[in-house]
Amino acid sequence: MTIQHTFLEAIRQESRRQPISKLFIHKGTCGMATDIVSVCEELGIIDMAMSLNAEIIETSCDGRCWAAPSVTVQKIDDAGAAYSRRFDRIDLGIDLEEFNKVLDLTTVHNVFDDGVTGLASRFGQLDGSLLAAVELGAYSVAEKVFLQDQKTILSKIETSKLSGRGGAHFPTGLKWKLAAQNAGPRYLVVNAEEGEPGVFKDRHLLEADPHRLIEGILICCYAVGVEKAFVYVNGQAHKAIESLLTALDQAKNYGILGSEFLPEEMSVDIEVRAGAGGYVCGEESVILNSIEGERPVPRFKPPFATDQGLWGMPTVINNVETLAAVTTLWQDSPPPTKLVSLSGNVTRPGVYEVPADGTLSWNGFLLSAGAELETVPALLLGGPSGIFLPRDKFEERIEMKNIGAGGIFVLSPESSVREITNALAGYNERESCGECTPCREGTIRLTKLLQQETVDLEKVEELIEVMEEASLCMLGGMAGRPVKSAIENFPATWISVDR
Amino acid sequence: MIPYDMTADDAGDRLANFEKELLVLPAVKSYLLPAFHLAQERLDWLPPESIVVISSHLRIPLSEVYATATAYSELRLEKPQYGAWYMCTGVACEAAGAQRLIDAVDIAPEKLGRIDCQFLCSLAPVCTDHHGKILGRLTADRVRAFFMEDIGD
Repeated sequence: MTIQHTFLEAIRQESRRQPISKLFIHKGTCGMATDIVSVCEELGIIDMAMSLNAEIIETSCDGRCWAAPSVTVQKIDDAGAAYSRRFDRIDLGIDLEEFNKVLDLTTVHNVFDDGVTGLASRFGQLDGSLLAAVELGAYSVAEKVFLQDQKTILSKIETSKLSGRGGAHFPTGLKWKLAAQNAGPRYLVVNAEEGEPGVFKDRHLLEADPHRLIEGILICCYAVGVEKAFVYVNGQAHKAIESLLTALDQAKNYGILGSEFLPEEMSVDIEVRAGAGGYVCGEESVILNSIEGERPVPRFKPPFATDQGLWGMPTVINNVETLAAVTTLWQDSPPPTKLVSLSGNVTRPGVYEVPADGTLSWNGFLLSAGAELETVPALLLGGPSGIFLPRDKFEERIEMKNIGAGGIFVLSPESSVREITNALAGYNERESCGECTPCREGTIRLTKLLQQETVDLEKVEELIEVMEEASLCMLGGMAGRPVKSAIENFPATWISVDR
Repeated sequence: MIPYDMTADDAGDRLANFEKELLVLPAVKSYLLPAFHLAQERLDWLPPESIVVISSHLRIPLSEVYATATAYSELRLEKPQYGAWYMCTGVACEAAGAQRLIDAVDIAPEKLGRIDCQFLCSLAPVCTDHHGKILGRLTADRVRAFFMEDIGD
């Protein structure tokens, strides 16, 4: 066991912090979509940074998508403490004098430390290397956890009350325990499909901090006794796939996936599979079929995946964020946080890590993101299977059970709840895989009913009830949820058929 | 990428190269989706010839290979229009004026497709160019400028 400590420590030694100035260029999907490369060239800031001997680091979006294109200057002093200052929306201009001053190591510190902790703490801080990730704590939890026995770890996960971050909130500890008690071989499937419109937090996590996911995977594989893990990533998330594959290569090359780091008798193979579209491909049993080479349609449940998953063997299926969150559970007071994807009528849309233990109100969160509350009639929480939260409920606290996978769209005064509801119904209709009748036919009929000028609300409710009860998976089961919520919260939007 | 065309001079070479790469994948059913991806990466779509080759290598009946391919919305079973752009029409992009952008830029409909979500809602409205590059926070002027550049290419 001492060898493992020495091993990780050796990696840390290799990247020991030196007094230096660094220029982080946020070149994630957000930066690239806002022409960060040409903007930096036009402003000449890379040349300027090089003339001051600053290290140029290409990094991911730090979750503050609204700031793109942006760069961050970081200085590390003689004591190894880091100070950073971000320059936002540099396409609109940059104060070059200030930029120079911040970057110049000889000036006094007039910059601030963001102090971000938790799941997103390494977003926008890494240069894509394993060394940088290890320096900022990657794999240090696994190193400690590998000194414990599997039973202790399973118990820890269970008592932490960690629940699935993909939207279903199933207790993670129970899931791991159920799979572990069945005879192997066992599999782990990481659900990184994220095909729900309005949700982009897993992509950010994979792009920004893939080593956190790998660490979570290793802890799960050790605790449950898994030898083969699949990461099923949305096929359109090219940068996320590239980032994950690079991180896996690094982990292999540095021995993180080998006997140098892993406990005795543990071996694990991690394979990345790209999906090929379809909202239903985020459903866990569909992913199993897809990996096996079958048609991507849902399976009947039971049996559940923990009993009979991939190739009929016990399988743990966890969302990316769930496994990443595992790495935070051994902190002194693990924060019950949730990554959310915020878009729409706010000044600062992006990926936020919010406390999800009922300590923050919607009002507070929206204000922090730059929303003008009087211009926000409602929120759409959770996309095509989500609900509308009207303004009179913004005093309510944010709780995990209300935010699904974490997609939050902020409506504006111009938004039409009815048009959005119809658009979501149309999306569910197009995305239905057609395997079961309640969903295949139900989504078509629901769309048609909603498109009438006067809507037969009674019929709509009856249809939704059938779809909820009889659909094979949650796409059909929850397709009527936004419709029900819209009718309940915005009754004036609908002209009902006079019976 | 120029889509594979069975009447083009290079059709035989492109298919042969794809087949050569396909043989590297293990000949088991689990590699069906990776095989589809390989075909689409190399040929830009899944022409019938590629379905036959995949069926043969993975030893899966042709009908099953085809049926599975039809179930994935991102797999193209028809030859795509070369150089098409895709405008995101998700909730956030619609709210940010995606439809107004489509109306404002005078582009042939087959050159400007629509997709349900590009998952970059924080930079809406968003579109994807013919190289697959995502462009965010679009304005009509910016889209027109991109298209002019594209035509210039």
